[in-house]
Amino acid sequence: MKRWLLILMFAIFAVTFVIDLMVRDPAQAHFWWEKIYGFDIIFGFIGCIAIVIVSKWFGKVFAQRDEDYYDKR
Amino acid sequence: MTEFTMHPSLFLAAGALAVILLPARLRYIGLLGGPLLALLAVFSLQVGTTWTHPFLTYELQVLKVDALSRVFGIIFSIMALLGATYALHVLNRGEHVAALLYAAGSLGVVFAGDWLTLFFCWEVMAASSVFLIWYRRRRESLAAGFRYLMVHFVGGNLLLGGILLLMSQGNVAVSALTGAEGPAFWLVLIGVGINAAIVPLHAWLTDAYPEGTVTGSVFLSAFTTKVAVYVLVRVFPGTELLIWAGVIMALYGVVYAVLENDARRLLAYHIISQVGYMVAGVGIGTELALNGTVAHAFSHILYKSLLFMGAGAVIYATGRSKLTELGGIAKLMPWVVVLYMIGGFSISGVPLFNGFISKSIIVYAAGVSHMGLVEILLHLASVGTFLHTGLKLPYFMFVGDGKDRGLPPITVRKIPANMYVAMAGGALLCTLYGIVPWLLYAELPYPLAYEPFTTLKVVATLQLLTATAAGFWLYLKKLGGEPTISLDTDWFYRKPAAKLNWILDALRGVKGTVEAWGGVLFQAAVPYVHNPLLVGVGFLRNVSYKAARSLEQGGWTEKTVYDEHRHRVSTQLNVFFTALFMGAMLLVLYTNL
Repeated sequence: MKRWLLILMFAIFAVTFVIDLMVRDPAQAHFWWEKIYGFDIIFGFIGCIAIVIVSKWFGKVFAQRDEDYYDKR
Repeated sequence: MTEFTMHPSLFLAAGALAVILLPARLRYIGLLGGPLLALLAVFSLQVGTTWTHPFLTYELQVLKVDALSRVFGIIFSIMALLGATYALHVLNRGEHVAALLYAAGSLGVVFAGDWLTLFFCWEVMAASSVFLIWYRRRRESLAAGFRYLMVHFVGGNLLLGGILLLMSQGNVAVSALTGAEGPAFWLVLIGVGINAAIVPLHAWLTDAYPEGTVTGSVFLSAFTTKVAVYVLVRVFPGTELLIWAGVIMALYGVVYAVLENDARRLLAYHIISQVGYMVAGVGIGTELALNGTVAHAFSHILYKSLLFMGAGAVIYATGRSKLTELGGIAKLMPWVVVLYMIGGFSISGVPLFNGFISKSIIVYAAGVSHMGLVEILLHLASVGTFLHTGLKLPYFMFVGDGKDRGLPPITVRKIPANMYVAMAGGALLCTLYGIVPWLLYAELPYPLAYEPFTTLKVVATLQLLTATAAGFWLYLKKLGGEPTISLDTDWFYRKPAAKLNWILDALRGVKGTVEAWGGVLFQAAVPYVHNPLLVGVGFLRNVSYKAARSLEQGGWTEKTVYDEHRHRVSTQLNVFFTALFMGAMLLVLYTNL
């Protein structure tokens, strides 16, 4: 199961990247990152990791409390 | 049908009345009939129709139809029907009445042409929706309901203040305030902003929605914030402040969703995130962005209610809502998993589901308006959306193994058929609008030339989502729920209120002490009041046998009531003593002693 998911994932990356190479037209881009082929793969992966790390850090140092926090004096 | 015009809220209110009057077993007449007729009424409304009603010196426009109000009317009445179907098995008629009145209030706001009608319906929404929280009948729900009410009454009063200012300037009709400065602008913006859950005015939402009933929270998730979005579109299009307010909302919800353990609270944080897109769209304010906002509100109502229905079904079946206590139930409720995932794919913007065709308009509009940072940050929020609503929540709710806390194994109750029907209806609409977006685009307030299914957009979306899934896989171990709660801006009223309560408790203690000692003193004083002459009689009786006997012969006990006749002396004696006293006084005064 896990192996199949991994294969599927890389297959999607490969296929979409090839299509990306064919259809992306840098001339139509509004911003510089829209000119990069496969930008969303990098952005999605790094963005996901950044969200997890930043949020967990924020939770640890600031936000997270015991469940009975508001019931305690 | 074209001649037929009726305010849809009236049908919903009539449905509520039918639910009260008929016995509980006939509840479906009002519960389904009301929303169904309301839906028909909305579809038969013609753009341009206006009903006026005189009130004091004003002409109220209780029904005013234009393209914007019509599309919101359609989705709210569809939602009322789906929500009513989902709640059909509930025997508590009070809950149904609250839900129907809540929907009626929402449609009332949408079709209100003047500020007073809008405000009245606004308050109907707040006052009826709180019962959807209270009917959960838990201590936490009662407290959360009161906090919800408190925040909404504050918001409602700010809005009323703004409205009264506007009306004093002669603005009775609801119209755009963009660019207007001054107190009225800010009061209305903050009043509406509270309902739109604009950070930092959002905490009521994530506080209250997870505490509602299983069926009530479905209604809650759909109406209040989207009614506020409607008012923002109508009153504040192009208010630049809202662009960044929206971006902050979109990311804020994502960050808190990482930390959240309660299934419905996680979804509630993603309401804030998704409404952030809409608020940003209002801020951008171009016709394209406003169309995107309206379309996204339409889509959002469908998929978010579907997600709340899915999570609600899990809570209904298992009695649990925390990710740390759930997991491993996918095989026991496969259809809930499938239907939930359709909602999850929709919110994540997977192509062929309805989030894709609406969210992308707003992001695209930001690009067209050359707001690079806005576009990329909204893009980032999409990553977070899929990460939590599409991956984390379903994984740990249905698949993962979180039941290692010494809890008994999860038992699953049978889920009523009507819940499945409602979820299937929502899933069907999510997919329908996802595949045939022109059905929705045709209803939007402005003409729209937008092609969602360009190859590049589809490819880029697939890349983004698959990469997110890869990141999720990498962090699977870290992403499980933790048994904690997260501090949010409700801290600023919950903690001081707790302190205030503590001070009041202390004052109550002082008052109690004073009262207790007062009571003791009063008790001690009672015999003196009874008969002052007999103080110590009991004591005397105890120490002296003789005294006791003579008291008994005289008929004296300490219970003997004071009787002035008993102690009278003769008139002669009185006169004598008076004369004696006066003589003595005379002597004293005369001799100047």
